[in-house]
Amino acid sequence: MTKQTSGAASAGPNRRRDGEPLGANSEIGRKLKQYYDELVSDEVPDRFAQLLSQLEQAEPEQQKD
Amino acid sequence: MAASLGFKGDLLATIPGLRAFAMSLSQNADRADDLVQETLVKAWDKQSSFQPGTNLKAWLFTILRNEFYSQMRKRGREVQDSEGLLTARLAVHPSQHGRLDLDDFRKALEQLPEDQREAIILIGASGFSYEEAAEICGCAVGTIKSRVSRARNKLQEILDISGEADYGPDAIAAQVMGSTVG
Repeated sequence: MTKQTSGAASAGPNRRRDGEPLGANSEIGRKLKQYYDELVSDEVPDRFAQLLSQLEQAEPEQQKD
Repeated sequence: MAASLGFKGDLLATIPGLRAFAMSLSQNADRADDLVQETLVKAWDKQSSFQPGTNLKAWLFTILRNEFYSQMRKRGREVQDSEGLLTARLAVHPSQHGRLDLDDFRKALEQLPEDQREAIILIGASGFSYEEAAEICGCAVGTIKSRVSRARNKLQEILDISGEADYGPDAIAAQVMGSTVG
């Protein structure tokens, strides 16, 4: 087998994305997503669903003056 | 279309993203969840002012962001002080393999001014366009671009990594050659 696959597939046609300072290839961009994804995947406490149910059940308030 | 029917469900679906944004802004889990709670209550009260078909996520992020800055103003300079402490005890040591530890990254992110941190989060992680981020932050698109750019430069400086966005085959090769374990 020829060993010419490395780089060719991953680099792709647009390895330089000018004007995209946070391109998928940048270390900062990757870490940022990793950092954020970890936060997003954090389990959501029940209190928020309960809060929304309470808001839903509450009678619509009259408009305040 | 009727927004109210699915409104609760739409809000629920956005909560993980709202919490992540709130954490990114406040750097504090309790404050973040308070922010999300306030945001949900406000959003519920103001749901008639939401225009169906527009970006609900952006609308909610705007409410949360306003709430964050309004709380910060109420707390006065207290926030600034704690920021100074964080900066003082910050010492990032990039690992020898050039691989950035997530914890180091987190500390570096904490060091950014709020306006830069929120800009780079909105663009680089939350998936908003520059236009949407500008609307959320109530500023010009150019301002967001420059904040993102400054944030990125600052992070690179703190983390001492190369400014090249293109981590090409060289970086990969270096990793392969460096991994002598096993």
